Amino acid sequence: MVRLSIDPFNKAKFYLHLNPYLALTIVGQLVFRQLHSKRNIGLNTLRITVDKLAKAYGYLWAINNLNLDLKPGDFVALLGPTGAGKTTLLRILAGLTSPTTGSVQLDGVTISGAAAELRAKIGLLAPADHLYENLTVKENLRFFLSLYDHHHDDHAIVAQLDTVNLAERAGEYVANLSSGMKCRLSIAKWQLLQPELLLLDEPYGVLDGGGVDLLESFLQAQCAKGRIVIVASHHVARVLNLCSRAVILNHGRLTFDEAKRQPWPSFEKAYGEFLPRGESWRS
Amino acid sequence: MALLRQTYLLLCKDLLLELRRRDSLLTMFFFGTLLLFVFHFSFDPAPDKVAEIAPALLWLAFLFTGTLGLAQLFQSERENHCLDALLLSPLDRGALFLAKTCFNLILMLIVEIVVMPLLWILFNLQTWNLLPQLFLVTLLGTIGFCVLGTIMSALTLRARARELLLPLVLFPLMIPVILATIRCMENVLRTGEFGDATPWLRLLLGFDVIFLTVGVLIFDWVIES
Amino acid sequence: MALAAIAVGLYWGLIVAPPDAYQGDVQRIMYLHIPTIVAAYLSFFLVFVGSCLYLWKKEKRDDILAYAAAEIGVLFTALVIVEGSIWGRPTWGVWWTWDARLTTTAILLLIFVGYLMLRSLIEDESRAASAAAVLGIIGALDIPLIHMSVYWWRTLHQPPSIFRPDKAPWENVAWPLLIPLTINIAAFLILLFYLLSLRYRLGEMREEIKARRLDRGG
Repeated sequence: MVRLSIDPFNKAKFYLHLNPYLALTIVGQLVFRQLHSKRNIGLNTLRITVDKLAKAYGYLWAINNLNLDLKPGDFVALLGPTGAGKTTLLRILAGLTSPTTGSVQLDGVTISGAAAELRAKIGLLAPADHLYENLTVKENLRFFLSLYDHHHDDHAIVAQLDTVNLAERAGEYVANLSSGMKCRLSIAKWQLLQPELLLLDEPYGVLDGGGVDLLESFLQAQCAKGRIVIVASHHVARVLNLCSRAVILNHGRLTFDEAKRQPWPSFEKAYGEFLPRGESWRS
Repeated sequence: MALLRQTYLLLCKDLLLELRRRDSLLTMFFFGTLLLFVFHFSFDPAPDKVAEIAPALLWLAFLFTGTLGLAQLFQSERENHCLDALLLSPLDRGALFLAKTCFNLILMLIVEIVVMPLLWILFNLQTWNLLPQLFLVTLLGTIGFCVLGTIMSALTLRARARELLLPLVLFPLMIPVILATIRCMENVLRTGEFGDATPWLRLLLGFDVIFLTVGVLIFDWVIES
Repeated sequence: MALAAIAVGLYWGLIVAPPDAYQGDVQRIMYLHIPTIVAAYLSFFLVFVGSCLYLWKKEKRDDILAYAAAEIGVLFTALVIVEGSIWGRPTWGVWWTWDARLTTTAILLLIFVGYLMLRSLIEDESRAASAAAVLGIIGALDIPLIHMSVYWWRTLHQPPSIFRPDKAPWENVAWPLLIPLTINIAAFLILLFYLLSLRYRLGEMREEIKARRLDRGG
C-alpha cells in the first residue's frame, strides 16, 4: 500500500475517484443517444420544405433566399450555369453543409444536424466518388450496406452487381475501375439502400449509353414508389425527358420553378436567358 | 449497440486497408528505429547513465512516430471524398472517433512492441524482466496520446500547414501524459516495481477515461462542416 | 477610469507600502504580478465559457468573446512570465526555473498560442470557430491535469501567499500590503474588461463588415 504523504496526492486521489462518475456519464450519454435517435418518419407524407435558405462562402452568397416545396414522387431537374449554387444546394439537402440562414426540413424535421434515422433516408450520388480505392467492389458494397444497417447476403449483392453489369468485376479493386464503372457501382449501392430522397450531382458526365439507361430506369422506379429525386445536370435534354419539374438557379437565386408540361415555352424563355445568343439547350 | 457495431465496422475497414498497403505501419516502424539511432548518436550515454535516459528517449521516439501516424489517420477518407460518404450515412460521429483512435492505437502498439526490445538491445540494457510493467505504462500513455491525437487530427483536417499545426496544438496538451509515463518508467527501472509511482499511473488512467469520454461526446462538433 | 484606478493602485503599491522583510523592493513587483495572473486566468475561463456557449447555441457573439478573451489572455500570460523573470533574477539568481507554477503558466501560453494559430490557419470562418471552440474546451479541461502533473514533478515556487487552502486570505499577507494588492487586482480586472470590450467591439465590427459586403455582393 502506498503511503500518500503529500497533499497533492490526496487531491489527485479525489480527482481520480471521479472515474465511476465518468463511467456513469459515458453510459448515460450512450443511453441518451439511443433514445434521442428514435424518430419515425412516415413514408407516405414525404415532403421537403426549403425555407428562405441562404449560404455564404466568405463574401459571396452561394445561395440566396431560396424557397422550395417538394412532394412525394417529384423528379426535379436542377439546372443552371456553372457556379449557380447547384452543388451547394445538393450538399445542404444532403446535410453535409449547414446553411448560413434559413432551413431545410424533411417532414418537419430539420436536416442539418439531424439524427441518424433521418440521415439514413437521404442519398447523394456523386459519380466517381464515395468509394474506397483500395477495397474491392464487393467489399465497398458490403461496407456501406453494413453502415446503413442493411443486411444482404452474398447472393443479393452479386445479383445487384449483375444488374449494373459489374458482376464479373466483383473482386476487383475500385482503383482499377473506370469512372463509368464507379458510377454504376454507386447506382448499385443506392439501389440496395433505397433512400427516400436521392440527390445526383452531374451523373451524365461519366456514363456511357448503357449506364445512362440503367440510371434512368433506376430513377424512374424511385419516383414511381413515391420518393423524391433531384438531378443537377448540364445535359438538359436528357433530364428534361424524365423530370416532372424543373428548377433553375442563377447566381444562387431561384429564377424558375414549374411543373413540366408539353410544350413548355416558359421554360425555353427562362433557360434561354443565360445561354449565349443563338444557342439552344437542345443541342 | 449501434455505437460499438459501427466502431467495429470502421475499425475492420481501416485495418483491412492498412493490411493491403502497409504504408503507415512500415513508415512508423522505420521512423521509430531511425530515431533510436539518432538519439544514440546525439546522447552517446555512458553505460551507467543509459537506464536513466532510456525512458525519455523511448517516449520521445514514440511521440514523434505517433505524430506521423496521426497525420495519416484520415488519409483513406480524404481520397474520393469518402469522409462525405461517412458523414452522409447514419454513422454515429462518436463511432468514427473510437474507430480512428483504436486504429491508431493498434498501429502504435505494434510499433512499440518491436521498438521497445530494440531499444534494450541497442542501448545494451539488462533489465529485460521489467518489460511487462513498462509495457503497461506505455499502453496507458499511448491510449492517452491516441485519444487526444485523433481529436486534434480531425480538428486540423482542413487547415493550412496541417502537418505543422498538429504537433503545435497537440504537444502542450500531452504534457501530463509525457510526464506521467516517463516518471513512472524511471521509477520502475530504478526500483524494479511501481511503488511510489502509482499516483502517476492513476493520473494516466484518469486522463485516458476523461478524454475518451470527452472525445466521444464532442466529435460531432469536431468533424462538422 | 481604468487608468486612474491602475495609477492609484500602482502608486500605493510601489511607493507607499513597506518593503517586504526578506526580498526588499523587488517584492513590489508582486503588485503587478498577482493581478496579471488573476486577469490571465479569468480570460482563459472566459475562453472556456465562450467555447461551450458557442458549441451549444452557435451564436456569433460567443465566438467573438472566445477569440477576444484568448488574444488578451495570451497577452497577459506573456506579461506574467516576463514579470516572473524580472522577479526571479534578483530573488533566485536565474531568469528561468522549471518550477511548477512557472511551467504551468508557460504551458498555458503554448496551448492558447496554438488556439490562435488554429483559428488563423483554417480558412472557412464557421469551421474555424467550431474547431477553436473544441480546442478551447479540451484545453480548459486539460489544465487541471497539467497543473497536477507539473506540481507533483516540481515544487520550488513560493507557496501561494493568498490562496493557501488552509488559511483565510487575509491572514496570510500582512495588512498594509493587502490593501494596495486588492486595489491593484481590481484595477487590472477593470483593465481586462476594458481591453476585452475593445477587442469584442472590433470582432463585432468585423462581422458587420462581412455582413454588409455579403449584402452588397449578393
